[in-house]
Order: sequence, then structure tokens, then C-alpha cells
Amino acid sequence: MNKFNLTNINFGRAIIYFILFLFAFIYLAPLYVMFTTSLKDIEEIRSGNLMALPLDPTLYAWKKAWATACTGSECKGLAPYFWNSVRIVFPAVIISTILGAFNGYALAKWKFKGSEFLFGALLFGCFIPFQVILLPMAKLLGSLGLANTVTGLVLVHVIYGIAFTTLFFRNYYVGIPTELVKAAKLDGASFLKIFRHIFIPLSTPIFVVTIIWQFTQIWNDFLFGVVYSGSGTQPITVALNNLVNTSVGGKEYNVDMAAAIIAALPTLVVYVIAGKYFVRGLTAGAVKG
Amino acid sequence: MGSISLNGINKSFGTTEVLKDINLDIKDGEFLILIGPSGCGKSTLMNLIAGLEDLTGGEIVIDGKDVSEESPKDRDIAMVFQSYALYPTMNVARNICFGLEMNKMPKNEQEVILKKVASLLQIDHLLDRKPGQLSGGQRQRVAMGRALARSPKVFLFDEPLSNLDAKLRVEMRTEIKKLHQRIGTTIVYVTHDQIEAMTLADRIAVLKDGELQQVGTPYEIYNDPVSHFVADFMGSPGMNFIECIVKDENLIIESGGQKYELSIPCKDAIQNSKLDVVLLGIRPEMLTEIEPSVEKNSFIHQIKFDVDVLEPMGADTVAIGKWNDNEVMARLSPEAGNTAGKGFDLQVDTSKAILFDPNSGLRIR
Repeated sequence: MNKFNLTNINFGRAIIYFILFLFAFIYLAPLYVMFTTSLKDIEEIRSGNLMALPLDPTLYAWKKAWATACTGSECKGLAPYFWNSVRIVFPAVIISTILGAFNGYALAKWKFKGSEFLFGALLFGCFIPFQVILLPMAKLLGSLGLANTVTGLVLVHVIYGIAFTTLFFRNYYVGIPTELVKAAKLDGASFLKIFRHIFIPLSTPIFVVTIIWQFTQIWNDFLFGVVYSGSGTQPITVALNNLVNTSVGGKEYNVDMAAAIIAALPTLVVYVIAGKYFVRGLTAGAVKG
Repeated sequence: MGSISLNGINKSFGTTEVLKDINLDIKDGEFLILIGPSGCGKSTLMNLIAGLEDLTGGEIVIDGKDVSEESPKDRDIAMVFQSYALYPTMNVARNICFGLEMNKMPKNEQEVILKKVASLLQIDHLLDRKPGQLSGGQRQRVAMGRALARSPKVFLFDEPLSNLDAKLRVEMRTEIKKLHQRIGTTIVYVTHDQIEAMTLADRIAVLKDGELQQVGTPYEIYNDPVSHFVADFMGSPGMNFIECIVKDENLIIESGGQKYELSIPCKDAIQNSKLDVVLLGIRPEMLTEIEPSVEKNSFIHQIKFDVDVLEPMGADTVAIGKWNDNEVMARLSPEAGNTAGKGFDLQVDTSKAILFDPNSGLRIR
């Protein structure tokens, strides 16, 4: 009886694992193809099998994608645009996260007349499609003198990100007992001191979640990047698009693949480093005190 | 020092009136318990005293000074919360000293106070731990330590024991009482547990639906309640209420084919009330097995009692059953409890019985 059950379970397990591996394979296959292709030379790509390992791995494509590939009329590779993206992402992520933390803290624990409405209005910002704000934002950036600048893109991403970061922090802080605020008030702590001494130390998981979210959103953004950047200030996603669309002679798939991986690498790295916090932060609401 | 006057306190949330015209004077060093069923406004009243909520009307005077408009930190009050509200990322020592730190007390003075408080509450060995590593009772002590450290004028306790298991609750109850005797600071203590109220309080204030029902010593509240509500709320097992017909100066219980005529002490009150039917209130300990040692007088009656359920408590046994058709509780000795059953002979002592108007619920006296 017991043994029968055991084999039954094993059989079920086997099916589950088979399906899991199948989907993992389907999901990872494109990455595999991209990576192997980026290490092949153009001859091998033309003649060889798509799934085959490179016979003679070379970093030629990577070097070219990084430093010398043409993106439109310029031929400096992705490097300058990579650094553009970095210069956009870091300030935008930091500023929007800090603002979101403050907003979330105030909206969750210092309720005032109309605070729920304000939160609802802010939430609305999460649902506004990018396209809708393109023109007004262009006008705003123009009148601020920030059109086609990195600063302008930082501003756009901060504004667009606040809705999400506020939502994250507010929902996280709602789970923290309000009695902590009361106790701290009686202990003589102010609005800012309570935030600094009690809420910030509790916030690691939600900071990680927000930073990952904002980092990926902003790094992967294409539309704002293509609309609000000038020739020297394009982020890497726009440059990648230009690189793939610029063909001098034949299409260099290996360079395209290497460039795509370079463009995606930072977000992958962030997930690998902080991914476990991401899952934990999304699931863990309440703080046991 | 730490006297509190609540003068005409009103509090509304939107259109809901939570507290209605509360007037209460708490003497310095007094242990006052606010008690009432859930939703009666007792926690709101406490938050108002602490300054965590704004008054809708009235004034709060602490130590002769009107603090109605002052922020919590300027009221010199410390509070112990039901959930303890310990700062989860700080260790015990920092939890206790946080208030001192916020008031910019020098580190060495903080150390002195920390040592004193920790030894008073016997938590010396826990100072480096985080709240998450403590048991319920230990957290309770730390929460009290945090309140003690600031040596405030007034302590507020908001149902501090309700998260503890039964045994620990009794232990901590005793400890809080000892603590109060030692430090002598005014304590306002909210609870819904009437045993806690009876055992701890100098005075008890009973709240219902945002209104103060009665304020008095535990003895007064228990033996001389002003209304059906107070009488019903205080005491465990609760008071028995039996509808009786008034006949001259006596009461008649008649139903289920049996009739008893009871003599009661407050004869004038019945006559003055001019009621035909009154509610007789009688504590379970006045319903016992026949005790031959008790001298017979006009207040001792003998009745037939049908036991439905027996609840042995060790020291005595609570018998729940029917007297005529009225459900009543009687307090028997464990031995008598063993033999109790249908048609059990019960002795009813009405010398401490009290009467209520069945319509208004108010005391007839």
C-alpha cells in the first residue's frame, strides 16, 4: 500500500519535473542562442546550426558592439550610450525611491484630510500610458530648458516613477503597526526621527524591491529615451535599436546579439544579486515585532 | 504631581460620537482602571489623554496644567501598548533608552537609568536582544521598562496583559500592582477584563457607549452598582437577574408551577418606585447549598434548583441551572457540587440583593 503510493508520487513528481525543465528550456533557449551566436564569427553563423556551440569562440563581436559598431552616423559602439544610461538610471532610481519612501511613510502613517484621495490620485499615475504624457512632457522639458539632456530624462523618470515607488512603500508601511508611531511620538520623536530611526531600518526588503523595479523600468525604457534624448544623450536601448538598424554591408548577427546582451546585462546582474530580496519583499508584508 | 482632570471630554469621528461629556478626576498616585465592552471608547479616551488623538470638546488638565493642545511629547506621559510596540530593529537597551535619547539626555545618564530600570524589572540579561528574540512576558517587561525609564507623571496602560497566556497574565498582574506600590506614579489602565479591574484598581471607571456609567472603588462597583449594565459587566460568574412581581414589600417569583415569596432589604425603594415588576439582581455567591450553620433570618430562603451544567473551579463549583424558568448561576462548595442535580435544594440569601427597573435598567434604591 505504502509502496504503491510512493511510486505514484514519484511518477507525479517526474511529470512535474519534466514540465518544469521543458518550460525552463523554452524560456532559456533564446538566451542560449544569443550567447552562442555572439561568440561565433559571421561565416559560422551563415553556414552552421543555430543551436550548435561555437567551433572557434571569439570576442570580436563583443568588442565591436562595445566600442566600434555604428549607431547611425557615429561609430563608437555602445559604450558612450551605456554610460548615458548609467547617468540616467542612478539619479533617477535614487531620487524616485527616496521620494516614494517619504510619500509612502506619510500616506500610511500620518493620515490627514484627503490623504486617501491623494493616494488614489497618485495611484492613477501608475495607469497612465507613456504615450499620453509624451507631448505635455516635451513642452515642460522645453520650457525648463532640459530638452535633449540627461537631466531631463532623469526628471521624466523620477516623475513617472513616483507613483510606483509611493505605492510600494505605502503598502509596505501600512503593514507596520501604527502603535510603533504612537510609542515613538510619546517618546518624543518627530516625524523625521520616527522615519529615520524606526521605519528606515525596517525597510530593507522594500528598498530592494523598489530599486530593482525602478532600475529595470528605467534601464529598459525605450520610448522616453527615444523621444526626449538628443544625439549625444541617448540611453543604451535607443542606441541598441540604432545599432541593429544600421547596416554597413551584411547584417552582423553576432554583433547584434552581443550588443543586446550588453544592453540587458545590468538588469540581469541586479536580479541575480538582489532577486531573493525581491521575492521576499513582495511576499512579506507584516513585520513581526 | 500626576493628577489628571478630564473636563467635559467629547470626541467624534465624523458624525459618530465616541465619547460623550466625560468628567473624571484622577488623583495623583491613583491606579484608575477604565473598563467597558469593546467599542465603548475606553482606548480612545486613553489616546486622548496621551495626545495621540485630538479632542472634539472639553479639556484635559494634567498636574494643574491644561494640556489639551499640547503634543504627546510635552505631556510627560508614558504608555504601554497591548502589542507592546517595541521598536523591532533596536535591541532592548536602545528600546528602553530611545525616549531619553530623543530628549537629548547624555549617554552616561541614560546608562544609569537603564541599569536601574533593568534591575527593577529583572531584564538585565536581555539588554542585547532584539524584541523578536523575546517571549511574550519578556516583551511585556521591556515595554514597561521603556515607560519607566522616562519617569513620567502618568503611566497609561492599554490592555497590556491581553496578549499573554492565562498564567503569565496573573503573574504580570501582581507585578504591575507591586510596581505601582513601589513607584507610586498615577496609572490609567484600560482593560475589558473585569478581574484585572477588580484586582488592580484603586478606582474603576465603567464606560459604555462613550458614557461614564459609574466611578468607584472595586468594592462599590461590585456591591453597589448603579445600573443593570454595571452589575452585569462586573463579576465572574456574572450576577443573576430574575424578573419578579412586586407584592407589598416582598417579591414573588412565579413560573413553571412554582411560587416563591422573597423578602428583600430595600423595602422602601420598592414602594417608592411604584413598579409592578422589578429585576432582582443577586450574585451567584448568594446562592449556595443549604448551610445549616447560617442563622435563619427573613432573608434566607430555600428553593428548588435544577442543575444543567456544573463547572468545577477547584475552590468552588459553579452550578448553572433553572430556578423556576429563570437561568441562574449558583456557587457551591466542591462537595455539594458533586451531588447537585435535579431538584437540588438551594439556599438563597437576599440580604445583599439589589433591584433594577426592568425598563431603564437603573438601580432602584
